[in-house]
Amino acid sequence: MTELVDVVLGGTFHAAVLFLVAAGLQLVFGVQKIVNLACGSFYALGAYFGITAVGLAIKLGMPPVLFLPVLVVAGLVIGLVGLPIERVLRTIYRRDESYQLLITFGFLLMFQDVFRYLWGATPRTMDNVYLAYGSAQFLGVRVPTYNLLVIAASLAIAVGLGLFLERTKIGRIVRATAENRDMAEGLGVNASKIFALVFTVGCMLGTVGGALVVPSSAASLDMAVELVVESFAVVVIGGLGSMRGALVGALVVGLMRAAAISLVPEMEMLSVYLVVVLVLIVRPAGLFGKAAA
Amino acid sequence: MLDLSNLKVDIEGSRILNGIGLSVAAGELVCLVGRNGAGKTTTFRSIMGYRRARSGSISFEGADLTKLPTWRIAQRGIGFSPEESEVYTDLTVAENLELSTWTRPTGRAATARIEEAYTVFPKLRQYLARGGGQLSGGERKMVSIARALTLDPKLLLLDEPFEGLSPAIIPLIAEGIGSIRAMGKGVLMAESNVHHIPDYVDRIYVLERGEMMFSGTLAQAHRDRDVMRVIAGQIEVVS
Repeated sequence: MTELVDVVLGGTFHAAVLFLVAAGLQLVFGVQKIVNLACGSFYALGAYFGITAVGLAIKLGMPPVLFLPVLVVAGLVIGLVGLPIERVLRTIYRRDESYQLLITFGFLLMFQDVFRYLWGATPRTMDNVYLAYGSAQFLGVRVPTYNLLVIAASLAIAVGLGLFLERTKIGRIVRATAENRDMAEGLGVNASKIFALVFTVGCMLGTVGGALVVPSSAASLDMAVELVVESFAVVVIGGLGSMRGALVGALVVGLMRAAAISLVPEMEMLSVYLVVVLVLIVRPAGLFGKAAA
Repeated sequence: MLDLSNLKVDIEGSRILNGIGLSVAAGELVCLVGRNGAGKTTTFRSIMGYRRARSGSISFEGADLTKLPTWRIAQRGIGFSPEESEVYTDLTVAENLELSTWTRPTGRAATARIEEAYTVFPKLRQYLARGGGQLSGGERKMVSIARALTLDPKLLLLDEPFEGLSPAIIPLIAEGIGSIRAMGKGVLMAESNVHHIPDYVDRIYVLERGEMMFSGTLAQAHRDRDVMRVIAGQIEVVS
């Protein structure tokens, strides 16, 4: 029983972070129709920058309980890097998908070197935050309080993003632009502005995800590519372009991975991609994807 | 209010509009008539800035539109309803109508602008909560025209508002267009079937193979054999 709770909690924690990055990927794909491979870099960028920010907070003598908000703010701030990147991507919106994949892949590789240059090749860790939050008793299992907070934060972001898209004027304009950009412009929408906004929000989802995960693991050069691989599993399972798909896909991948790690650790990625292959065969559009979109 | 002069537009190397001129005055209902492929949609899309003119001018209230991005053209007060209606299926009917009030705030309250659209198409009230994807062709057309109207424009561009609609619904749309004109707004509509042109139009232009072959009243057009041969097809030639 405790093992099951352990797997579920561990999987949900991983899913919470994965959801943030995948949601960014989905948002950008939904509106700009670009599959952004650089989403993994944003995640790694958030992680590295989070370490720097917490290092600064420690120097300033902030109490450790404030580190979680510091990480969130750091993620949001560095997410602004999405603005200049969107300026570059703007040139290829109407081009073939292969160009878009190549250019975002180019960003992924360039970011690797930026990380190496700024933060070095050895992984950077930060366990002081993790320990500062202590642990809690949950269904008879001791879990790091930090993990529970991250799950809560991710859920809050999911709900907030949903409300933003469904209920606000700007959210509806974003959805209209996603569905038919030309018509939106014909109704007075400055689509370039909407694209810049969406891309930056998508980027922030990734950087906040990275900043939140770093206390429990490490910031390393592999994390960008690793996350791209997992996000794609999420997107394929959930359906490209769907927010609900991102949520469910992230849970499936997170839980499958946690279960595999607890049972047969060597089969971690195999188990996830087994589901991916299954979904591709049985339901190619994904669980929440629009058929033949 | 709207003036096109010597407008030339190419699409992928071939000339679609070959130096056309056209004007719409405030409060005027003008119909651009022509067969399929004559260049009506290209004319509309050029006015809206989706297509760039090779040469010539498009001006609205004295300002040049040819260099402006589409959204700025809409912001100047031109409401566009495309041939395929292009109602948002991801939004409800009510949200479709509200959208233009958010994108272009004017001095008038959003509620007044939306109310105005309901008086033009009273039937719209019945399916406000419906999704844009759950509408018939005629209903979509009403939403599309109403959405152009809630932009609070001075001029409306309606591309083939009767195209593909059931005969039962055409009078409803025609009546709506009449009451839009009665509000003092300019309307430029495209039509391929001369029998669908409402008899209350002020003037018509006839476009044939990218050139303007006629401009005048509907009655004058009916007396012009060449014009009738083009726009009435084989159906009948009124002498």
